[in-house]
Amino acid sequence: MTSLLFDNVSKVYSGAGERAVDNLTMHIKDGEIVALLGSSGCGKTTSLRMVAGLESITGGEIRIGDRLVNALRPSERNVAMAFETYALYPPLRVRENIAFGLLRDRAPTAEIEKQVKHIASMLEITDLLERYPPSISGGAQQRVSLARALIRNAAVHQLDEPMSQLEPQLRALLRARIKDYLIAQKMTTVVVTHDQTEAIALADRIAVMEKGVLQQFATPHDLQDRPANLFVASFIGEPPMNLFPAMVQGREIAVLSDRQEVAFQMPVAVSGATGKLGDGKRIVVGVRPHRIRLAPGEHTEGTNLVGEVTSNHWLGDQCQVGFQVRGCHVIAVGGRDVHAPVGSQLPLAISSEAVRIFDAESGVAIDQGSEPAASLVA
Amino acid sequence: MAFLEIIGLSKAFKDHKVIDNASIAIDKGEFLVVFGPSGCGKTVFLRLIAGMMPPDSGDVAIDGQSMADINPEDRDIGMAFQNYALYPHMTAFNNIASPLRSRHVAETQVVERVNETARMLRIDHVLGHLPKELSQGQKQRTALARSLVGRPSVVLLDDPLRNVDAKIRYEMRFELPRVLRRYESTVIYVTQDYKEAMALGDRVAVLVDGGFRQAAPPRQIYDSPNSTRIARLFGDPPINLLPVRPTPGHAGIEMNVAGGTVPLPADRANLAGRECTFGIRGENIGVSLEPNGGIPMTLDAITPVNNRLVMLLGGNDGAELFASCPQGGPLDHLRGRHNAWVTLDLTHAHFFDSGNGARI
Repeated sequence: MTSLLFDNVSKVYSGAGERAVDNLTMHIKDGEIVALLGSSGCGKTTSLRMVAGLESITGGEIRIGDRLVNALRPSERNVAMAFETYALYPPLRVRENIAFGLLRDRAPTAEIEKQVKHIASMLEITDLLERYPPSISGGAQQRVSLARALIRNAAVHQLDEPMSQLEPQLRALLRARIKDYLIAQKMTTVVVTHDQTEAIALADRIAVMEKGVLQQFATPHDLQDRPANLFVASFIGEPPMNLFPAMVQGREIAVLSDRQEVAFQMPVAVSGATGKLGDGKRIVVGVRPHRIRLAPGEHTEGTNLVGEVTSNHWLGDQCQVGFQVRGCHVIAVGGRDVHAPVGSQLPLAISSEAVRIFDAESGVAIDQGSEPAASLVA
Repeated sequence: MAFLEIIGLSKAFKDHKVIDNASIAIDKGEFLVVFGPSGCGKTVFLRLIAGMMPPDSGDVAIDGQSMADINPEDRDIGMAFQNYALYPHMTAFNNIASPLRSRHVAETQVVERVNETARMLRIDHVLGHLPKELSQGQKQRTALARSLVGRPSVVLLDDPLRNVDAKIRYEMRFELPRVLRRYESTVIYVTQDYKEAMALGDRVAVLVDGGFRQAAPPRQIYDSPNSTRIARLFGDPPINLLPVRPTPGHAGIEMNVAGGTVPLPADRANLAGRECTFGIRGENIGVSLEPNGGIPMTLDAITPVNNRLVMLLGGNDGAELFASCPQGGPLDHLRGRHNAWVTLDLTHAHFFDSGNGARI
């Protein structure tokens, strides 16, 4: 229940030249839930372990509240961890495993009992309290490990892939219950995950990491809507952002097809960055599938196109439609009742404020300002 | 007659019946997805069809011909695996060519067929690379090309997109059906991701406890699941299932849900007095932060999933309900607990027998 600061933190394993974590700076607020998201080897677990004191810090500072913890032993840091490998005590019953931290802190017995009961019920392990860890399933062990961390009144809670072993139905329920609990207890929490669904569901803010480098630290909404670079744009979102190679031609952005021919054009003004986009500049245009309107009315604001439906994936509460628009493949998401049979021609509109622009060379997003882009269209 | 017939197939390991008298018929050119929770026997099922494992009983017939005495390599079946299983010492070209060469196809034809398949899967520029030089997506495409290059009449795909990242997964989800349609393949595709199953399948066959419990187009499975078990496997958040006992009230038949009383549609009058399980999906539940005559509940947490908001609601009787709505509304930036009023759209209600879980 305090803030957590990474100040220019780096980690180099001896023998390896590469930085497992490279100049990570991130301020996690008191009571905030933050997810470290990335594929394996991106540095997310190393960052977590440096906070807990299980890994030395090569450079920079980590502060829990006002306390610099670089030189502190793990036991002095007041960090509660749920490990990916569970790390339960096999000779202790589930009940004792969960209560372990509280027993060590000499909490009153009645209080321990009450808390164990509450947390076990929340995580659906009440029936397992008298069992021993080796006799229960991996998914159950994972929940015991979570319970052992969440029951503690620590400064920071760290959860490493906390729900990876759970079947999807239980995962959906526990995600919501745990989020409710973390917010109610005002727990400062770091969740490490490779699963964007989990990160988006749980976190107030998400830190996307790749090759040891923080790519973006933002709310789930901003990560999806305003990715900082092409890596984040193609990593986040289900389905991910549509990305089209494009070129500035005078006052138009020419979106290029697979064959590098001009597929369609949109006014350069949609980018809100007219001044920064010189003629002939190579860019990448990004549009989230959810921001493309299917079968809009005539003369809808933005870029109006007609596409041939190449696929229509109906998912119950939504449908994901693939289009061919003059050699460009476009994915759009609509409601469950959108009528878009494969082979049909369907109008679609890309509203100006949904268009994102990236520098083709660096991959970095070109600032589009906060002004509603619609007003910028000439 | 169906092109591919699975007739009473069974396979046990020790006492555990992994596949238990499973039957299904698949039309020529059909894309059938076999879907089930992990450990339900999906991979064993594919291996039995491919002939990589003998069944204890039952048979597989392709185009009317029993496969019982036909060797795996003579079954005219292509297969791709979750872990790619490429030969590490062979280039992508030679990997893709391997099924043709083992059948002694003339080399000029091998070159032509490999190139054509690689072009279609957009890996023609990396054919000279070894597997370790290929990206994750290119490895997956190479494995797919190898399963397709011999133009087998049946293609078996074992969770091929399991290990690829979201971007490649979506690319392939949109591209695969097109490629397979071009080859006129009859496809059995195994996955444990319900969204993938619904996205790809002409039909989805749900494998539970070793047998097919429902096989139908995605819409039918989602809108009319034939048991609570199947209903729970499709949808995120999962469908809400609550025990109810509808009774006659002031305004027709009513039931108690999450501490509130709701009237049933008139065509459900037959449920009066019957113990049953009421099912309703999150998207058919409305949530308001102002009193609107709905059931008073607490909104405990909001977890965005698939670009929708998923709301966990608590009732004063201890019941929990999931509701979901599109993003872009007043609830987008809400945090913590709130009072909420909840309305149920019962035109989309499901009712199941409380004993065996079968749809009523």
